[in-house]
Amino acid sequence: MTLKGGTTQACAACKFQRRKCTPECLLAPYFPADQPKVFLNVHKLFGVSNIVKILKDVDPSQKKNAMESIIVQASYRDKYPVRGCVEEICRLQNQIWLHEEELHAVYQQLEMCRQHQQQQHQGIHHVVPDDLASQLEVGMAPRAANNALPLFNHAPQPQQQQQQVYNTSVAALPVSQQHSYSNSNSVDYNSLYIESKENNNNGTNPLWVPYANNNGSPIAMQSQMVTSQALSMHQEAAGDYDEMHPFFETIDDRQSYIYSKEAYESSSEESLKDSRKCTEHVAENELKSAAACFSLTSVN
Amino acid sequence: MASSSYSNSPCAACKFLRRKCMPDCIFAPYFPPEEPQKFANVHKIFGASNVSKLLNEVQPHQREDAVNSLAYEAEARIKDPVYGCVGAISVLQRQVIRLQKELDATNADLIRYTCNEMTTLQDGRRIGEASSTFSQSPTAYYYPSPWNNDPCAGDAAFHRGGGNHM
Repeated sequence: MTLKGGTTQACAACKFQRRKCTPECLLAPYFPADQPKVFLNVHKLFGVSNIVKILKDVDPSQKKNAMESIIVQASYRDKYPVRGCVEEICRLQNQIWLHEEELHAVYQQLEMCRQHQQQQHQGIHHVVPDDLASQLEVGMAPRAANNALPLFNHAPQPQQQQQQVYNTSVAALPVSQQHSYSNSNSVDYNSLYIESKENNNNGTNPLWVPYANNNGSPIAMQSQMVTSQALSMHQEAAGDYDEMHPFFETIDDRQSYIYSKEAYESSSEESLKDSRKCTEHVAENELKSAAACFSLTSVN
Repeated sequence: MASSSYSNSPCAACKFLRRKCMPDCIFAPYFPPEEPQKFANVHKIFGASNVSKLLNEVQPHQREDAVNSLAYEAEARIKDPVYGCVGAISVLQRQVIRLQKELDATNADLIRYTCNEMTTLQDGRRIGEASSTFSQSPTAYYYPSPWNNDPCAGDAAFHRGGGNHM
């Protein structure tokens, strides 16, 4: 439906509701006429009145961000009709866990290689007959040392990062079961809440804590650059979602640590139950391995 | 409000909406009367009619998951009206990117290290061969990572990347 004179096309919201789109239309800036699917998703999940209510409750400076997050949330619900954003959160948490496991394995390999090299050097001096010692020292030891030094100059740093990562995982293991939304046959919604590193509470913190300063009050988001890789979900969708790409740049990346294993459980996914058993077993081994790594490191 | 003749207390949804809770109430299995806040949050953000339509569109065995996800999203939106649960997704995505970069860097370190080791080994063997008495068993310094792209290596369960788990 066009305005009188036909100069401006009605926004997707007004088109859907078959009403006149005035210049003061609240939704017109967010739902262009050429992207009807975007509004359809939002309307299906929230409804127009609820969107308007949300917009009225936020600061005018945050209206754009709020609407963009609503659009993203509705798009995830369209993609995953059963669990919506929760599905994406679980998928990302699983991906993080896989990456952490892989990092752990690579760090272990590095440590083993380093130890082997040291053993080799010691073995050369103690096992090899004396008439070869001088030749070996000339041919091998200095070069090996020179090659090793640049690599291991930063060795303590990966250990610290590894410790940081595993402090995350260890801290995330005990999950509070007090929340009434959890169900043994479905996703553990307690573990979906992201815990701030600075937070010393018992682990039942809501996800909005990472956005708080040390005093616990919410602070404004700051702009940060995010690569387009972060929005792979939107790249799969039709062009309707292209406008959401800049959205994630406005969300500040606060310190947040995720429950990396508990969240990944679903009543309709048998393979996920198996992976959960794997994760429990691996997590236990992971702790032991991490402890072993640190104890071995301390010897050197 | 008159309770039903079945002597079951009305569900949280019907209590909130002040209506009779019928035996076939779609909300009753998922909004028990002991959790009034759960429905209150969902109703505030999404509205009862939208929730009802959503539940009717999913299979009965999926409705509990659907309700719990809506409850989670509603609570997140109430606590953070600007970003809701989408903020969590953004944080997680950044973390994935960060971990991926760290993984790439660490794998590069490992490859560099093992290449240096191989070079050192070869030099050592050349010296040993020259002396004809030197012998050192070849040792595999490079341990094939289970995380390689090589489909023949490693445990298939630990494949990289999360898939669509619908």
